Amino acid sequence: MSLLLAGGSAFAGPKVHQKPSDFIKSSLGAIPTTHAITLTATQQRQVRAILGKNYKTKAIRYWARNGKSVFILEEIGKTEAITTGVVVKNRKIETVKVLVYRESHGWEVARSAFTNQFQGTSLKSNGQISRSPRNIAGATLSVRALTKLARLALFLDSQK
Amino acid sequence: MSHQPTKLRRHIARKWHRWLGLVAAVPILWLAISGIMLNHAQRLGLNDRMVTSGWILQHYNQLPEGEPYAFEVGDRLITGWGNELFLDEESIPLEGELVGAVAHKGRLLIATPDKIGVFDGADELLLELDNLSLPGTPVQALEAVDDKLHLKIADQTFVLSEDFFSADQVSAELVAIEPRELSPEEKDSLTEAIRTRRGMPLWRVITDAHSGRLFGWPGWVVTDLSAVFLIILTLLGLRLFPKRKS
Repeated sequence: MSLLLAGGSAFAGPKVHQKPSDFIKSSLGAIPTTHAITLTATQQRQVRAILGKNYKTKAIRYWARNGKSVFILEEIGKTEAITTGVVVKNRKIETVKVLVYRESHGWEVARSAFTNQFQGTSLKSNGQISRSPRNIAGATLSVRALTKLARLALFLDSQK
Repeated sequence: MSHQPTKLRRHIARKWHRWLGLVAAVPILWLAISGIMLNHAQRLGLNDRMVTSGWILQHYNQLPEGEPYAFEVGDRLITGWGNELFLDEESIPLEGELVGAVAHKGRLLIATPDKIGVFDGADELLLELDNLSLPGTPVQALEAVDDKLHLKIADQTFVLSEDFFSADQVSAELVAIEPRELSPEEKDSLTEAIRTRRGMPLWRVITDAHSGRLFGWPGWVVTDLSAVFLIILTLLGLRLFPKRKS
């Protein structure tokens, strides 16, 4: 009978954990001038290797101050985009925070107990993250999406 | 003495089990197979594959609400319909009310109150500008004046820099250009494009076919009946399970 219920979950709508502008302010103290990395063909290929597809825009914005860079990135979990803020300093992740969560399942990835696992991680030479987060049952796609975004932020930081 | 009624009950149960099983076999098989597929949607790539069959897409009737309106930029038509935006007849990854569209140095900029999408010559989204990069929101108008990009935000006019990331306020007042209505032919053509060209993820189609909703009320009635039949078949099966006394 559970088969009959496979598609019938309730959807509560997007949950804004923190506005992107507030995330940048709290991470950098202010919103500095926007910068962007316009991906070359080679960089696009590398991004595709991380995400399994192109990023939604060819140029990706970031904000930088006092040696820190903030990336506001989006990736689809199952069907909806997860807006995530990533702070990178000295090629290592300082903070990962889910800012807007739109999926009906997998919201557990927004908990700090999960996102704190990314702290201090860096990018290995093979493009993988130095320490993978634990999976969360029922939130596999969201866990994968956040891991991809962490890798993407580290990659972009290395391309500035 | 009590063997006759028991034998009769078993006979009736077997008869119902056989015929209900026959009637419900195909829908139950479909429910089981589609249920397994949905449980392994990621592994089977159902999230990435798109269904483009016009027959199936017509069931979804994805037409936006309200009347479409458009800005003409050269020979391109940028249409806003409901919350959706279209470049010629292709949906673009930008949502909201269409407030302006201009061509500028080989790029096409399309503005909604919350975002400006910058598209390159291949119609790919190059950049999204929002309140993190613009002097504010909502954007009320976007126009190219004297080869410069002018923005109207909170009744004030700004000139966007060449990299789009800074803006200087100017005293000139920007009068918003009004969009035009689509002609009946243009609307019919866009309607057909939306109904038939927009793909639907395969997992969504299978989910809706699994629940029966894809086929309207007859679909969910058949699904519900199949579920009821499955319950009855289980109970009848349990009733028939004990060995017959010789």
